[in-house]
Amino acid sequence: MLDRRGFLRNTAGGAAALAAATLISPGCAAEYPQAEMDGVALQTLTPKQYAVVRAAAEALLVDVPVSPAEVAASVDRELALVGDPIEGDMKAVLGLIEHLTILGGRLRRFTALSPEARLRYLGTWRESRFKLRRAAFMALRAVVYYTAYTHDSTRPLTGFEGPWPERYRIPVYPVDFGEVV
Amino acid sequence: MIVEGYRYSGTLRDKADVVVVGTGAGGGTLAAYLSDRGWDVVMVEKGGFYRAEDFTQREEHAMGLFNGRRGLDSTVDNAVMLTYAEAVGGCTVHYWGDSFRTPEDRLEKWRTEFGLDWMTPEELDPHWTAIEEELGIHITEERLFNENNRLVRQGCEALGIEGSAVPTARVDCIGCGWTQFGCAYNRKSSQLITTIPRVSRQGGRIYSDARVERILIENGRAVGVEGSLIDRETQRPRGRFRVDAEHVVLAGGAIGTAELLLRNVPEPIVGQRFYVNPHFFVFADFGREIDNVTGIPCAYSVHGFRKVRWGPNGQYLGGGYTMLCSHQSPGLTAAILPEAGAAHAERMRKYRRLGSLMSVIDEEHPGRVYLDGDVRRTSFTLRGVDVLKAVDYMKNAARIFLAAGAQEVWIPDIYGTVVRSEAEIEDRIRARSVAPNAQLCAGSHFVGTAPLGADPDNSFAGPTGESHRIRGLYVADGAAVPTSVSVDPSLTIMGVARWIAAGMHERSGRAGA
Repeated sequence: MLDRRGFLRNTAGGAAALAAATLISPGCAAEYPQAEMDGVALQTLTPKQYAVVRAAAEALLVDVPVSPAEVAASVDRELALVGDPIEGDMKAVLGLIEHLTILGGRLRRFTALSPEARLRYLGTWRESRFKLRRAAFMALRAVVYYTAYTHDSTRPLTGFEGPWPERYRIPVYPVDFGEVV
Repeated sequence: MIVEGYRYSGTLRDKADVVVVGTGAGGGTLAAYLSDRGWDVVMVEKGGFYRAEDFTQREEHAMGLFNGRRGLDSTVDNAVMLTYAEAVGGCTVHYWGDSFRTPEDRLEKWRTEFGLDWMTPEELDPHWTAIEEELGIHITEERLFNENNRLVRQGCEALGIEGSAVPTARVDCIGCGWTQFGCAYNRKSSQLITTIPRVSRQGGRIYSDARVERILIENGRAVGVEGSLIDRETQRPRGRFRVDAEHVVLAGGAIGTAELLLRNVPEPIVGQRFYVNPHFFVFADFGREIDNVTGIPCAYSVHGFRKVRWGPNGQYLGGGYTMLCSHQSPGLTAAILPEAGAAHAERMRKYRRLGSLMSVIDEEHPGRVYLDGDVRRTSFTLRGVDVLKAVDYMKNAARIFLAAGAQEVWIPDIYGTVVRSEAEIEDRIRARSVAPNAQLCAGSHFVGTAPLGADPDNSFAGPTGESHRIRGLYVADGAAVPTSVSVDPSLTIMGVARWIAAGMHERSGRAGA
């Protein structure tokens, strides 16, 4: 598994962080009941990893008409489908985000912070002088924002009217592909 | 005939004059050329076979359907997002249709530095002309300019910066604007609807969902390929296939071809030069709704900065990039735009007010494709003069937007850089914005990982496209192109592939020109 986590290993401070990530407990459903409460049957994330994505979505998506649970469930589905190395990299990022709150002097885990405190904490990752933390932040925010704004519920916010095939009937030019079996 | 591999278990076997691995710009062009002249052609494609009806224009659907690693791939340090397609039609399923002939100065570089004497405009002209006719390549008509394109043109004209409408590969385009998610109307001239159907109707076999794992080599000669038939849902193998052929052509793109070679013919040069043409995005808030959704993403390109300007002492003065007008889907825009929390939502509320430009940095320092254990990875670090090019691009993009009337120009970096006037540009736009993970940088113009060249120590294949060391093994895709092209490489790749095909045909002694 370690071999696959190049994302972490290849950044400054990555080896130490990777070592830390491997020591982190996977958590259990009792500690992290969010997925069960949301009624989400997880495909690849652990209950803890799901809770971290959900908590990040709550913090990052302020006044955005999309459910953090839906975002976290979508991320779970995508990671299950894409597989390694991306799946493994992202899981390692989630573990570090949850437990490295200590770096900023916080005694509580990421998921236990208020959404405002989570946002401030993520800000320290964004502006960190360590490439690893910046990379982890960018990966997490990108996947959360991308996933959130592909949901139709965000269209009123952006003014995006939706794809053409949903709105117009336009003829498709015929193509003869020959035999398809 | 198109054979959808995911429908089959067991082992499929086939035999042909040539097996082409990959169905994109290079593979489709080469396969059609040979098929037209009577060759028995088999094509093998890792991705699925999709038709216009499958392209819903929903970005999350398109990313999952035909983008490599579901659109989530990046370099090993997450610094460059890698966008490439895996489907029948390859990269041309998601490309914008931009179709530039290779600049003469770049051909000259390849002649002098790589010994590719044949790479002259005169030699390539008949191939480009044929491709342009077949794909309906023409200068983008005015009706396909959306307001973003018109504003960028207006800004360039006000500043005296050179730019022009792009040559584009499409016929009767309706201007829906979502070409990068697969054309839902069969109006973009991708390989999927041009060369592939022709090869199929002429008796060729195109296997989709078929991942090549081994290049079969006997006595120093490539004699075929074999691999797995992939279940589309799970991406797990469900069957096997083997194709025996007199010629094996690799055309799976600069990443795919490099990966296959690294697993089979791991020569030192393979994967060592990975050009991505880094794409940095600059947004402009015009303070009113503008149409940056319809039309085509890039009707207008800025090429006044394509060549680097050097000072008398060799110092960098500017240039080394082009700019493409671009529009972004909501999901990608959200991933790119800066800030977090309420500030990010505030930016997204201005989605319909945003113009956007994208860089094509003509980088000097390439990255790498390599194997990390069994996992294929890539690396790329913007460095040296390439950092200066990226900064110069952001400054000039800001100038263009401001000259076109933008209220604010946004550099989508972690600092939330905003520029409101010419006077702020020099002070606010700095190299820190293009440090790794300071903003989302993308790459899509992948070339150089198994380059052609006269020197076996500095190239994988000779000038004919055939491997220096393995007879009958050819490279005819972006991997074969020696360096960054400095413009969209699609037509370069097609031209080179067609030239290689013509050489194969000529040397085969078969009838027909």
